[in-house]
Amino acid sequence: MMNEGWTSVVFNNRDPVYLQVVRHFKEQIATGRLKAGQVIPSRRELGALLKINPNTAQKAYKEMEEQRLIITEGNSPSRITEEAAILRAIRSELIESAVESFVVSVRRIDVPVDELLDLVRTKYVEERARTNQAEEGGSIHD
Amino acid sequence: MNRYLKLVNMEIHRFRYILASLMVVTLLSQCGSLIWTIQRVVSAKEKGLTQAEVGFAIPKFLSFPWAIVNTKVWFILPILLSITVLVLYSMIIWYRDWFGRSTFIYRLLMLPSARWVLYVSKLTAILTFVFSMIAFQLVLLVGENMLFKTIVPAGMRTDSTFVEASTIIPVLDTLLPKQFEQFIYSYGLGIIGVIVIFTAVLLERSYRRLGILYAIGYSAACVGVILSPFILGLDRSNSYWYPSEIYTMELAACLLISVISVCLGFWLLRKKITV
Amino acid sequence: MIEVIDVHKRFRGRKVLNGVSFTAEKGQITCLIGINGAGKSTILKAIMGLTPLKSGMIRIDDAPVGPAMYEKVAFVPDHLTTPTGMRLSEGIQFMKDFYRNWNDVRANELLAFFKLDRTERVGNLSKGMAAKYSLLLGLSQDTDYILMDEPFSGIDMFSREIIAEVFSTDLIEDRGVLLTTHEIDDMEHLIDQAVLLQNGSVQLAFDCEEMRTTEGKSVIDVMREVYTG
Repeated sequence: MMNEGWTSVVFNNRDPVYLQVVRHFKEQIATGRLKAGQVIPSRRELGALLKINPNTAQKAYKEMEEQRLIITEGNSPSRITEEAAILRAIRSELIESAVESFVVSVRRIDVPVDELLDLVRTKYVEERARTNQAEEGGSIHD
Repeated sequence: MNRYLKLVNMEIHRFRYILASLMVVTLLSQCGSLIWTIQRVVSAKEKGLTQAEVGFAIPKFLSFPWAIVNTKVWFILPILLSITVLVLYSMIIWYRDWFGRSTFIYRLLMLPSARWVLYVSKLTAILTFVFSMIAFQLVLLVGENMLFKTIVPAGMRTDSTFVEASTIIPVLDTLLPKQFEQFIYSYGLGIIGVIVIFTAVLLERSYRRLGILYAIGYSAACVGVILSPFILGLDRSNSYWYPSEIYTMELAACLLISVISVCLGFWLLRKKITV
Repeated sequence: MIEVIDVHKRFRGRKVLNGVSFTAEKGQITCLIGINGAGKSTILKAIMGLTPLKSGMIRIDDAPVGPAMYEKVAFVPDHLTTPTGMRLSEGIQFMKDFYRNWNDVRANELLAFFKLDRTERVGNLSKGMAAKYSLLLGLSQDTDYILMDEPFSGIDMFSREIIAEVFSTDLIEDRGVLLTTHEIDDMEHLIDQAVLLQNGSVQLAFDCEEMRTTEGKSVIDVMREVYTG
């Protein structure tokens, strides 16, 4: 169960690995795969799951603790925060940063806003339908 | 001490098949040729054939030393073979750790004990092989004597002592000295020889191409120092030195060579050896 | 901390190491990167006291190289160091006999993890299996530091994956790891520190995450700049 969504992480080499780990956690939270209050793997387990060195896992956990994304109380295992405000902020942060980079690249082409929004809507619906189908197809085989 | 014994044990373990082979070869060669030689004469005597008819000497009575002398080549050959193998192995015992798919020397040099223990354990192993072969030859001689008595009818043989048998050919005489003093000389020189070989090998392993020259130079120097008292005239009656003085010099030379070689070997292992 | 200070070495008239200096910290994975013949293996051998130096100094936790350090630093060369006639179990017994820091429980775990057969003869191991066996002998020593020479080189893909897994476990954690490689690809995310070696000296040494944070460059980007720029 723990393995779900962990082994498929592909890192790029130019961004700090620990920040990519943090980002991965945020994505999991935003999509609901990680729930508020859910226990997360220990840093040792995480290192093994993501095939990164334990120092990097440690650094990622420290960063997430600083951002109050996860909570570690005494010797008990770390959990995802239950603060609704933080969880909401994650979602909007991810959307905002994705839209930002989209806007930066599309700005160069200088498209009218309406045309762009139409195109986005069609593409997005198509893409979501396709990936949903693929996921269902995948789960049948499991 | 424990680690030293474990290393010695391991070295012996690695050589066990070759040592056993040498023993088997010696046994087969000596006993086989002995039986053949004795049988030939005994059957000729039984048939009453003369020397002219068979083409070899038929003595009036057979003795064990006579049998050894007459099987000479097949008796000595395995001994010489064993000596050659052991001398060569004095070098191979080091080189085998450097060459091949697995370079054991990495592990040996990384053991958390002083490196001279390696040197001493390899030396101990070689000496163990030598004395094992000697002990085996002694037992074998006793066995061969019994074999001789079984084959030759009592009426055809004369009895002999063990010493007569073991001194009849020079190789045996050197390997099985009758006096303790002689034993010390023979094996003392032998041990010095092995130590010099070890140090020469370590010189080569430390300095590689240049090391070959060092090794040859060093070995030559050692031989020179050992022989120098003789050159001074041990065998000349008109020498300036008394024989007892030359004897002392020789002893000093041997001692010097041993100490220098061992110290040099230890130092090379500690500071200069390279994998 | 392993300190390599201004180390020089010549071999057959060539300057193999020409003033190499760097450090490898405990609890960090440090990678010596350089093309074949850059002197990477020589540095590891020198740290282990397996080859003499012309000049310079090597210190491990402020102590010079000597027999006592072999309980503190383990070395995994890129080839076998157990006699080929021994069985795997005999090779392990040998280690157990000589090292006080030997961890037999871990050795057994690793035998199972690497799927090694203890009755097999060392000489019959495939290249990948031999690499795993060497790693087992190194990792089963409870040492503060472990040195590995090209742990991923010349072995099959699946063996590489299994060996890479070791780096993200507690087998490595808290130790200082110093490894060499001539190709970084498998290991980008595994290493903490990179030391780039060229022509017998250190061209650049850096913290990988710091390099990504401050300059947005991967280790390969930096290598490209150093080796071709």
